[in-house]
Amino acid sequence: MLLFWVVIIPVLAVALSAVLPARSRGAANLAAHGAVFVLAAVLACRITSGTGVVVFGGVLRADALSAFFVLLISLVNLAALAYSRPYLREDIRAGALSPGQARGYDVLFNVFAATMLVVPLLDNLGHMWVAVELTTLASAFLVGFYNTKASVEAAWKYVIICSVGITLALLGTVLVYYAVAAQTAVKTLDWSVIMSRASGLNPRLMGVAFLFILVGYGTKAGLAPMHTWLPDAHSQALTPVSALLSGVLLKTSLYAIIRFAMITNKAMGADFTSRLFIFFGLFSVAVAGIFLLAQKDFKRLLAYSSIEHVGIIVFALGVGTPLAVFGSMFHALNHAVTKSLVFFAAGNAVKKYKTHHLHMIHGLVQALPFTAAAALVGLLSLVGMPPFGIFMSKLMILSACFQKGLYAPAALLLFFLAVVFGALMFHLSASIFGNKPKGIEFGKEALSMKLVFVSLILLLVFLGVMMPTPLQALLVSASRLIAGEGL
Amino acid sequence: MTLFLLTGIMILTYAMLVCQRVPALIQNFRLQSLFLFLVTLDFAFRQKEAGIFVVAGLLLLVKVVLIPSFLNHLVKKIRVDERLGLFLNPLLSLIAALFLTWGASVFCSWFLGTSPTAVFAAFVVSITVVLVGFFIMVFRMKALTQIVGLLVMENGIFLLASAITGGMPFFVEIAIAFDVFVCAIITGIFMYRINKVFTHIEVHRLTDLKG
Repeated sequence: MLLFWVVIIPVLAVALSAVLPARSRGAANLAAHGAVFVLAAVLACRITSGTGVVVFGGVLRADALSAFFVLLISLVNLAALAYSRPYLREDIRAGALSPGQARGYDVLFNVFAATMLVVPLLDNLGHMWVAVELTTLASAFLVGFYNTKASVEAAWKYVIICSVGITLALLGTVLVYYAVAAQTAVKTLDWSVIMSRASGLNPRLMGVAFLFILVGYGTKAGLAPMHTWLPDAHSQALTPVSALLSGVLLKTSLYAIIRFAMITNKAMGADFTSRLFIFFGLFSVAVAGIFLLAQKDFKRLLAYSSIEHVGIIVFALGVGTPLAVFGSMFHALNHAVTKSLVFFAAGNAVKKYKTHHLHMIHGLVQALPFTAAAALVGLLSLVGMPPFGIFMSKLMILSACFQKGLYAPAALLLFFLAVVFGALMFHLSASIFGNKPKGIEFGKEALSMKLVFVSLILLLVFLGVMMPTPLQALLVSASRLIAGEGL
Repeated sequence: MTLFLLTGIMILTYAMLVCQRVPALIQNFRLQSLFLFLVTLDFAFRQKEAGIFVVAGLLLLVKVVLIPSFLNHLVKKIRVDERLGLFLNPLLSLIAALFLTWGASVFCSWFLGTSPTAVFAAFVVSITVVLVGFFIMVFRMKALTQIVGLLVMENGIFLLASAITGGMPFFVEIAIAFDVFVCAIITGIFMYRINKVFTHIEVHRLTDLKG
């Protein structure tokens, strides 16, 4: 029943958002997403024993991996929702949005949240494909929400490029289906069934299928060189949506890739996927580093940083030892929390200075001290300073890499990370410190916004200093699933 | 029968590259979808499964009737220049498509090994349709051609699914058909918006966002 409620509550929230008046709508949405988060936590605690939960005759299915992703998605959803209330209120006051548009935002937000939450819970790979495509379609309107030239252009590129990617992923899915049907004479797309028969599948067919899957879903996960839609969409979307896109949308596609990689690994050994993951991971970090150095736009800067982190996560999956995969999942969580925090801070800054240009945003400390503090913490966490979670996960990934004897990839990764470190520090410290430009008044954030910032910062520090036992158990069982029980 | 239908799809796919005007391209897409419907119907008769008949009916409704009519309606409404804007002229496009077909056949013989001619032909035709769809997206200028190109790619994958595996599971087919329909509507709406804010729908001129 738990799975059912996780799926159905956001759908109810869509309906409620469409009918309720503004004030009670906010409360109802917060309650709904709070409830989903609690349910996700309960699910995560219950499932750590290793076996999966199945309902509706196998339509919905959750194991440790899905439970982890549901937890991640519901956490960022809740944070983005809490942040978007004061954010939208200011937009309405400034006349940038009408109350009717705010209602539209709430409806779309909930549709988007519902589609993302359902992705990790679907057992059937075809259904999962449909859900991933629906996340694109639901969020397209949120990217093009302001209806300016830039946002419409970004939304168009987003929909088209991601749809092409997703279409290639469908081709990969069909090939997997064909491989299963040809080998075992069972016509199914259920992941659990395919997984139990995966060892006999035609390796050549599976290799080609996985290539399509990786390029297809990788487009949506933001892997270079298929990342071109990402900076546009992230920079033009409303800020809470940017956080969602970066924090969790990319990861739902990664989830799909992981599911297929598990099948492929079983059919043809881990070497094939491992090499691809390491290549695409390193390439993404490298591309992100280069574009970060030359960046002039605040939100695009953060978008490229997302590409970098997706690259790290995929790289770690390629390393493939239990420690690396554990680090990879942990990194996904840390990145989601950190990136939400930084995007929220960036949203406040962009609103205050009324520009995206980095060279026009400086002296944030004087203009919005609280936001500046949050941005600074986020920046330090993002580049991997202790005591924050990202430091720990990067450390795990790199040490796993050295343990396995992958010295050259580890050295390359370290080099690119150093480039990223320099670029982010250079750009963002210039924005945070210094004197504020003339004409920018000292301002204050709404209390609810401060609460969101404080709780995210506390969570970051908490994840870096100690890991709660249930979370650790969940991550361990999730990474065991991915790395294969034998390891 | 299957080979005849596959040939029809092949000819229509090539014909798409010769189209110079928007309505012709949409009409061509409609015909291609009709042939896809016939392939599915043929299959349904041979398998005698109720599910496949439903899928075929849905295909007829969504891809032959609804989506092309919606696109035609949009084109009339935004009243832009009807020319497609070719980056590559029809003759060169056709030659490129021939090479794509050849590539598809090499690729398929590489990984299928020995298999019945019908399966092999279906594989090659489907992959060619996917590649040509992608080609249309890249080498034609209008936003509308990108929508049609995407739909053509999806047609190719649908053909692959029904020709080599006898169709995906019933509920997956239904969900995908729904998804394609929603995708066409939403991209259509965005094309309308592009025309409104930019007063044209030429994708290569959307270059505000860079770097």
